[in-house]
Amino acid sequence: MTGQEPDAVLSVENLTKDYPGVRAVDDVSFSIQSRTIHCLVGENGAGKSTLVKMLTGALKPTSGTMKVRGADYRPGNPHDAREGGIATLFQELHVVDELTVQENLTLGMEESRFGFLVKSDLDRRVVATLKAIEPSIDPATRVSRLSVAQKQIVEIARAASSGASVIIMDEPTAALSEREVERLFGVIRRLRESDVTVVYISHKLDEIFDLGDAVTVLRDGKHIATKPLSEVAGRAELIQMMIGRTVFQSYTPRDTVTDDTVLVARNLSNHLLQDVSFHINRGEIVGFYGLVGAGKTEIARAVFGADRFTGSVHFKGKDIGGSPERAIASGIALVPEERRTQGLFTSMTIRENIPVMNLRRLSNGGVYRSSAERAAAVEYVGKLSIATDTIEKHAEKLSGGNQQKVVLSKCLFADADLLLLDEPTRGVDVGAKTEIYAIIRDLADRGNAVAVFSSELEEVLGLCDRILLLFSGSLEEEIANGPEVDVAHILHVVTGGGEHAVQ
Amino acid sequence: MTVSTATEATARPGRRLSDEAFITSLVAAVAVGLFIVASVAVPNFFQPLSMLNLITNNWAVISLGVGVSFLLVSGNFDLSVGGIVALSGVLAVWFAQAPDGANALSTGFGFPTWLAIVCAMAGALAVGGLNALFVVALRVPSIIVTLGAMMVARGIAQVITQGSQRNTNLPDDFGVLGNLTMFGTSVKLPVVLMIVLVLVAVFIEKKTVFGRLTYWIGANPVAARLSGINNALHLTRLYLFSAAIAGAVGILLASEFKSGFSNRGTLMEFDALVISLLGGIAITGGFGSVIGMVFGALILAVVTSAATGMVLSPDWQFILKAIAVFLAIVTQTWALARRNR
Amino acid sequence: MAVMTQTASPDPVQPASGGDRIARFFREYYIYFVLVAVVVLLSVANLDKFDLFERGNFLNQNNIINILRVSAPLLTLAGAFTLLMVSGYIDLSVGSAMSLSAVIYALLAINGVPFLPAFALTVVAGAGLGAINGFLVVRLRITPVIATLITLSLYKGLALLLVQDGVSAIKSGGGLKMPSWFNTYGRVGTFLELPAAFWVAVIVTVILIVAQNRTLLGKYAAATGGNPTAAKLSGINTGAIVFLLYVIVGMTAALAGIARSSFMSLGDPLSGDGMELTAILVVLLGGTAFSGGEGRVIKSFIGALIIMALTVGMLTLVPAYFQTLVLGAALLAAAASNHLVSRKESRS
Repeated sequence: MTGQEPDAVLSVENLTKDYPGVRAVDDVSFSIQSRTIHCLVGENGAGKSTLVKMLTGALKPTSGTMKVRGADYRPGNPHDAREGGIATLFQELHVVDELTVQENLTLGMEESRFGFLVKSDLDRRVVATLKAIEPSIDPATRVSRLSVAQKQIVEIARAASSGASVIIMDEPTAALSEREVERLFGVIRRLRESDVTVVYISHKLDEIFDLGDAVTVLRDGKHIATKPLSEVAGRAELIQMMIGRTVFQSYTPRDTVTDDTVLVARNLSNHLLQDVSFHINRGEIVGFYGLVGAGKTEIARAVFGADRFTGSVHFKGKDIGGSPERAIASGIALVPEERRTQGLFTSMTIRENIPVMNLRRLSNGGVYRSSAERAAAVEYVGKLSIATDTIEKHAEKLSGGNQQKVVLSKCLFADADLLLLDEPTRGVDVGAKTEIYAIIRDLADRGNAVAVFSSELEEVLGLCDRILLLFSGSLEEEIANGPEVDVAHILHVVTGGGEHAVQ
Repeated sequence: MTVSTATEATARPGRRLSDEAFITSLVAAVAVGLFIVASVAVPNFFQPLSMLNLITNNWAVISLGVGVSFLLVSGNFDLSVGGIVALSGVLAVWFAQAPDGANALSTGFGFPTWLAIVCAMAGALAVGGLNALFVVALRVPSIIVTLGAMMVARGIAQVITQGSQRNTNLPDDFGVLGNLTMFGTSVKLPVVLMIVLVLVAVFIEKKTVFGRLTYWIGANPVAARLSGINNALHLTRLYLFSAAIAGAVGILLASEFKSGFSNRGTLMEFDALVISLLGGIAITGGFGSVIGMVFGALILAVVTSAATGMVLSPDWQFILKAIAVFLAIVTQTWALARRNR
Repeated sequence: MAVMTQTASPDPVQPASGGDRIARFFREYYIYFVLVAVVVLLSVANLDKFDLFERGNFLNQNNIINILRVSAPLLTLAGAFTLLMVSGYIDLSVGSAMSLSAVIYALLAINGVPFLPAFALTVVAGAGLGAINGFLVVRLRITPVIATLITLSLYKGLALLLVQDGVSAIKSGGGLKMPSWFNTYGRVGTFLELPAAFWVAVIVTVILIVAQNRTLLGKYAAATGGNPTAAKLSGINTGAIVFLLYVIVGMTAALAGIARSSFMSLGDPLSGDGMELTAILVVLLGGTAFSGGEGRVIKSFIGALIIMALTVGMLTLVPAYFQTLVLGAALLAAAASNHLVSRKESRS
């Protein structure tokens, strides 16, 4: 792979990055052709993000070289990277809400004389670029008034107008609805036509086949392959390269589903939800599927009492009132959408994280039993195979999958009868995903009710007995899972094709 | 529970000192080290009496530090305690003063001492409630709220005392509490109460659910709420707890000096914050201990009394505090970063 | 400070409704209404005779000149303090820095240094004090609240140390005499009978308004406070911006110290005590968000006028010992309303 093709816009040779005790990127060499959409895939921890950080100047390689159009490229910071023609679109949005769209587009590139801003060609150029990729956004609007997808397009427009020849996109569709994804893909394809190379990182393999020209696979910090996607024989081969084994996720009907209803929600409504009613039975895994913004998280939080709503939630026949405290007390637990900010106490140890949802189990008249806490931690680290050498490890030092297992442990420790799992495997590697699915099935087999809120169709289809389809805050349809499920129909409904969506 | 065993996990209880114990030991070591250095270097420093004085002279600030520490661990400031000290003292005196004074400043309500104390405590708790209302219900940053509450509390005290103090026309038993000596020694009641308070606080912090809740809320308030913790209730309790301590301190000081002085407790909120920071409590929340705070108070006491022993002008105390806090924060951050690298 | 998380608001741009527009108009201009309301209130409450501009009434020329004269320190500080808070940082040491500058200026003057060099040296010293704050916050990464509490104590200690034991302030005595020009700057009327100190405050504010609207500094301060990561990724040296803002705040604190010291004709080491609280009050009153990103220099200037009109005007209504209470209550009210407003906006 060291041979450098003539049309390579970006290439890395023998790139290595060592952290104390870990080699995150190990002797990686490959090159990216100009005017292509080049996908970068690999499990979490495969070295993608370290590689991207080196490309953007956030990290310095331990050894090896990077080249842009054949010239040595050694960025010391993101600004250098941008000067070198490489711009990055990160998962979190990097726009300033308090400034206008146009001010954001020129941020960091302004022309100035003695510190004073001067009118320049730049303003005209950025507006033109924005108009070309998304005419519906007014440059004079304050960014705080835009949607997430629109903010992302502002970022892309900024990268494009900064003269970047390569734009790196790290999971840009994570927070977008299907329709917005299509719009984004349109933008990306238009970028390719205007001589911009896109490096596209995603966990969603369908997107990669839909969009990409070529793919580079990383595994355990090592380079596995770089080849045109036309030469990849489908998802199975790609997954094979990513994990070195075949994962097959499919639904098998479960016989523990009962008719014993534990939760009845009637007419849930708030700023987004419109009269959502449903029920969940003991022993059942119910999937809530819809695009981001369809109201999944809102339903989970309403049932859990975390947000205000109108309507009623009855659990085991009783009104449980509107606070997480009371929801947990009556036997409902939630794995929230954002693991690091809502689920975990990252600065605390595994031991300190696990008991928090069920303090009664660990206390005697207000006095805390530390020995019981330690025993519980050891028990759950074992039960869920959390990869750590000690229960005293800080949660922030665990990988995404293990962090999610700690959050799950919290809920399991709460002895809840109903578990609400909001995006239970987001940002989790394939191995841990399989384990988490096994845990969920096991819970339902033991007679618990489980609700899975997910924007991954594969996950819902592989796991749930019954699937509720959501669009724009209302419940469109309920279908039973099974071999005869019509995927095309599901996609039709959740993208606004259902009966209720007549507007 | 059936789970694939792709990852290998051996869990054993950690024998390693926790970060918190590590920082507390560090602070304790510095306190002892400074004490030894001061004993050797500073003339007349090492005397049995002066050692005792290090604690007894600082009973007020250490007591306030308990409430302030709990709040800091929960991720919130309480800079109102100095104002509450002034307010509760002034209120206690005002309520206890006989109603037949010669002028406005010597005329009060003539309540019996115990009732005056109860009313003063109610006033202190009202300020605590004000803090809680603004921080919890309105979500205003605690530093602004408690600074504002400090001004309001001191402001009320100034209005009641017309900007000076009330010290006449008081019943005799008003001065008992603050001057009562204990166990046949010269140790006064407030000092004993402070020691009891610290012991109770350590127990609450280490051994009770209430103490643990404080850490969870401080470490991640959002996750705490979604884990079923009633943050609002807990923070309200903490603010009331801190205000109650400050109220009691104010009353004891008023009793000791038999006066309600509107400028009493000036900068005490600052000192309580300083000793908490010296004691290794992180203002980001979720980390620190009351024991650390007590050692922090010792450090400050040793440094300031050593400075006095070396005949430095009292103006030096501000500079010394600044340097001490600066060094404490820099070394603690550095030590923790090194340890967890 | 100012940890920003992107709020995922799913609703796209909507055309503003009529009520929305009125609400936004009020948010934009409420500070001017408050100023007018305060002035009207104080004028009516103090009406001695039924002639607004007569002696004894609030709107009397001498009274207004007096208010503007004592306002000079706060007016000087408010703008720079606003920019610092817009960038998401805070400086609790401004009061101490002001005291220390007042002492330095008085010391220089009493030891025979002429006006201009003494003035310049003090401003340079103020820049140095700001630079220390900037260093602690930017280089050593100490939380701004704590870093500036440290320097609050440090500067206050230094100011006290510079004044001899047994004396409360730098003033004539012991063989040294304050030069006769000393109180000209802060007291003697020039243009429109207002002293130079007031006009310096106006000039500083105008410069900062221009800086906020027309320079990289203003835009980058908003970016730093609004989304620090985005600012850094755009190649903005946010550390340098913050450092520079601390230096500017230090310089304005020095100017405020000079104005106060000249007005009082002495170098009082406690003259700036509590100024940090008044500054925060004024800036919050002007609608600056405590979390950064949002805020205008001009509104803080108006906020400062309101507070000074209130404090001075109040003296004619109630005794001076009501001041702390009123300011504290105003601080709580400003903080609460400010937060309620900004929360509503982020939801719409």
